[in-house]
Amino acid sequence: MSEHKIYFKFDGKTYGGNEGDTIAAALLRNNVKLVGRSFKYHRPRGIYTCGIEEPNALVQIINEHNEPNVRATVKKIYEGMVVKSQNRWPSLKRDLGSINNILSPIFSAGFYYKTFMGPKGFWKNVYEPLIRRTAGLGKPPREFRSKSIHLHHNVDIVIVGGGFSGLLAAKKLAGTNYDVLLIEREDSLGGILKNTKKIELINDQNPSDWIEKTERLIQNSRNIKVLKNTLMTTYNFSDHLIAVEDKSVGKPQDNEKPELVLHKIRTKQTILANGHIERFISFRNNDLPGVMLAASFEKYIQKYGVVPEESPVIFTNNSSTFSLVKSLVDLGHKPKAYVDVRDQKKIEKETVELLNKYNIPLYAKSEIEGCEGKNEISKVSIRVKKNEIIKIKTSMLCVSGGFNPDIHLFTQSKGLLKWDETILAFKPEKTFQNTITLGSVSGNFSYEKLIGEINKKLDFFEGINDLEIKLNINGPKKFQIKELWETNHAKKSLWSKSFIDLQNDVTTKDLKQAVLEGFNRIEHLKRFTTNSMGTDQGKISSINALGIVSKILKKSVSEVGTTIYRPPYAPLSFSAIAGRSTYEFYDPERKTPVHPWHVKHNAVFEDVGQWKRPWYFKKHNNESMEQAVQRESKQVRESAGILDGSTLGKIEIKGKDALAFVNLIYTNSFTKMKPMTARYALMLGEDGMVKDDGIVCKINDQHFLTTTTTGGAANVLAHMEEYAQTEWPNMNVYMNSITEQFSTFNISGPKARTIMSRVFNNIDFSNESFPFMTFNNFDYLNTKVRILRASFTGEPGYEIYVSPKHALTLWERIFYYSKDLDLVPYGTETMHLLRAEKGYIIVGQDTDGTVTPIDLNLNWMIGKKKKDFIGKRSLTRSDIVRSDRKQLVGLVPLNKAYGIEEGQHVIEEKNLNTPIKKPVKMLGHVTSSYFSPTLNHSVAMALIKGGNRKIGSQLYVSTSDLNVIPVEVVKPNFIDPKNERLIS
Amino acid sequence: MTRTFVAKGMEIVQQDMQQILLRGKGDGSFADTVNKEISLLPPTDNLRMINNDEFLFAKQSFDQWSLVCLKPKPEKEIFRLVSAFNANEEILASDYSNTTYFEITGENKDHYLSKLTHFDLRTKKFPISTMAQTLIARIDCSIYHFQDKYLVTCHSSFEDYFKDRLQDAINL
Repeated sequence: MSEHKIYFKFDGKTYGGNEGDTIAAALLRNNVKLVGRSFKYHRPRGIYTCGIEEPNALVQIINEHNEPNVRATVKKIYEGMVVKSQNRWPSLKRDLGSINNILSPIFSAGFYYKTFMGPKGFWKNVYEPLIRRTAGLGKPPREFRSKSIHLHHNVDIVIVGGGFSGLLAAKKLAGTNYDVLLIEREDSLGGILKNTKKIELINDQNPSDWIEKTERLIQNSRNIKVLKNTLMTTYNFSDHLIAVEDKSVGKPQDNEKPELVLHKIRTKQTILANGHIERFISFRNNDLPGVMLAASFEKYIQKYGVVPEESPVIFTNNSSTFSLVKSLVDLGHKPKAYVDVRDQKKIEKETVELLNKYNIPLYAKSEIEGCEGKNEISKVSIRVKKNEIIKIKTSMLCVSGGFNPDIHLFTQSKGLLKWDETILAFKPEKTFQNTITLGSVSGNFSYEKLIGEINKKLDFFEGINDLEIKLNINGPKKFQIKELWETNHAKKSLWSKSFIDLQNDVTTKDLKQAVLEGFNRIEHLKRFTTNSMGTDQGKISSINALGIVSKILKKSVSEVGTTIYRPPYAPLSFSAIAGRSTYEFYDPERKTPVHPWHVKHNAVFEDVGQWKRPWYFKKHNNESMEQAVQRESKQVRESAGILDGSTLGKIEIKGKDALAFVNLIYTNSFTKMKPMTARYALMLGEDGMVKDDGIVCKINDQHFLTTTTTGGAANVLAHMEEYAQTEWPNMNVYMNSITEQFSTFNISGPKARTIMSRVFNNIDFSNESFPFMTFNNFDYLNTKVRILRASFTGEPGYEIYVSPKHALTLWERIFYYSKDLDLVPYGTETMHLLRAEKGYIIVGQDTDGTVTPIDLNLNWMIGKKKKDFIGKRSLTRSDIVRSDRKQLVGLVPLNKAYGIEEGQHVIEEKNLNTPIKKPVKMLGHVTSSYFSPTLNHSVAMALIKGGNRKIGSQLYVSTSDLNVIPVEVVKPNFIDPKNERLIS
Repeated sequence: MTRTFVAKGMEIVQQDMQQILLRGKGDGSFADTVNKEISLLPPTDNLRMINNDEFLFAKQSFDQWSLVCLKPKPEKEIFRLVSAFNANEEILASDYSNTTYFEITGENKDHYLSKLTHFDLRTKKFPISTMAQTLIARIDCSIYHFQDKYLVTCHSSFEDYFKDRLQDAINL
């Protein structure tokens, strides 16, 4: 415990705390007990626990981007921290929202479900906006850029929890050949040894010396890594665990450093030594500030050196509270009363002796009836006999209702639980994964038995020795408990409540009402009442709810069963989940070798797959995309344009059976194709639908080069590999993706040939020597280039394939030789416009996985004489050959001034009534549409029912402002239908 | 050779290397063809690698090998090797030189890499003279494990992104 003073603000007032204090510890140090308002009723709430299980003390950290719902019992203070209470207005002490508490008698279980049923329209316009505005505790954080990171671990053993059990397990494994990761959620190891007075000596050493010595042994062992301030949140299948480490504990966030580290851990064995959670007892006004769990009260004393109250009242049903009394009397303080529901004969003699020694009033076989106070407890009512109640003035009441093994992670791992009548709690019964539970999480609340348990459960690990530990235990050695979930309370007023879920403001009355209404299954009841559905997942109360329900249903708790604990164990920030996969690293980026040139020439990029492709090039800053695309398109048609097509997928196929393979993969026939020629090819799925397209270049019957769409490259290669390996394993054929190994430039336009002749002045590009759809390899610039005559614009065109190392040089040389030829670099948007003018499809835009080659009028690409190819059988199915399938057609607006919008419906109706009251028959939709600068009007392609038969007819296309425009259905080829320019 | 990144206990150096990707049966004919050209016999166990001063040869899968030229060669020599391998009609060899190569050394190399990959880099799981194909910073990479260093390769199109991620892992 440090004495270094730290100053922070809570609700505008400055407080001092010690270094290492949590916000809660510091507030208690300053005697502040009221820290928030409850979720539904806006009742005053205080600090109930001393850890992650806290349901009440949730605050907002203003100087950390408004981080809401931070547990004051976990977050450590630092100099200048600004903390604000939540869910109150105008102030914490005087909150207008507390009117809900006055109205609370009508807010019974299921209030929302029952009340907001009508009148019609009210939900959307009145109830929902109102509830949304009032719901929630804190305010959402402001925009900030997280620097949280992910860290991967592969280890042999993970120990969750650095308390006594975890330390013993680590000590046993120290120096072995196992890689061990020890995860501790607090800033120091030792757990209960540091937080209580339960253990006096370990091997004749005081616990803090033993912890220090053991920690040193672990640190020096080299095979164990310790992570502190790290919360294990998730236990997934296959022994995959996720933990989050807070790197900014006790210091302000540094925007240049990671605030959180998400540890992703693969292990062979998981040792859960994550302890237990104390639970409360329900009684009248058990939510008032000043009510605190007994073990938490002791932790504030032992860990933080804060005594929240020197003379509290203690209320228990078990043997554990001896330790709290000892902690108080050792400091010279004295509880005002010790209330135990057990008969005096059943109370451990050590406790009775201690109480007698210090003259502390013991009320045996008694219970707390309730407590009173405005913003905190002022007095408690103790029922000492059936009808006799005495009142004691106090500002704090310490409650212990027993302990639950912290089974959340165990149940996340799909382990099975069993109800234990001796400890009145669920404990692990059967593991589902490689999980070992040690200590109190396994239901063992006896320190004396712990050593034996660890020796026994870990004995299968190689190279370990039995632990020999001698313990001197303070107080009762055996844990004993009497069942008590709720005390009987006198009805004081309509506003007195006995809470079962403090975070969601669920009362024990709500549970009873839910059962009365037929919700007698615990999972239904949970959802109807919202019990244990808060961010704390009812850590201190969910088992109490089972206990109460079991009494109502007259069943045992094991018959009632438990609800499922889901990950994460406690809320974790989205920034931790996202890690570095945000902003600049949201998705990996791929760049072509010419990327720097594009940047220099004002390219605006679009993401295609992971590639950064020039979308269009801005001639000047004021040029819009539309203007740029019109300019680029016109220039390509009038002179020439160049496109960086390096992203195009490329696959090399080779082997004795390469020809047979390519014939099966694509619809076209390649048998009679001459070497060094190319062919536009279609690839179908088994269902006969178009999967991808590209150009197949035949070097010879054993060696082919194919291209794919940019986005489809990886899938096409995987598709080919799958068929080669699983369907036709006897074929001798191999394929490599060579997408990255060649940069590709597409030059097209009337001046393309001139440009090519200047750049490659030793090559004859005449039609006769270099006809359409042929290719060849040439030596150039001390490397090799492959040139293919092909075009995706309808203009004469060439594709140049060159090693990426030489790509930028060649690209610049092309421009150098084209200075007087008006060569324009163009992007993907212009490419789309140009191909649409020519009626060329884009797979994925003009097709959607339901389109066959027949629908696209590409029957000519189907090798009719081929024995087989993927999808062939499907093309003969009756549904596929239906004449009224959606077919690809062209659309031209009758009024050339109108534009056609992509994605709009094609219909027969002349008018659309607004609002549309009866269904409008949809013939299809517009797949591509552009304004053609060459034709000076819009051109579009559409998939419409029986499209081929409708060519020449008039239809209508809807618009986004619910109008229609008349269009003529035409063949989808708007420029050079006879391909005269293309092959010129 | 460019010294690229330095951090506490780690150094990453970007290297200029070349690579050929080979597909084939891995039978005697395959081994003969390879041995004739580079005087190395291809490894037969999956994910095993062998190397001398000049070449690194690794078996990536049952029918795929990578041949990395550790010392840069003239481009024509790579073309010649590719042609020589492809002369065997049961082998497909593709020039894979447009790959980015990083040598990573230092006792903290695993720590930095564990910020970027889930792959188990412990020597007992990833022995020396083996290789792996895995994701680093969410991109496909190969890692070749030498005695005292890793050689990490990825497609060159990812080079800028990958360098940014490496620098980020060092900074944070």
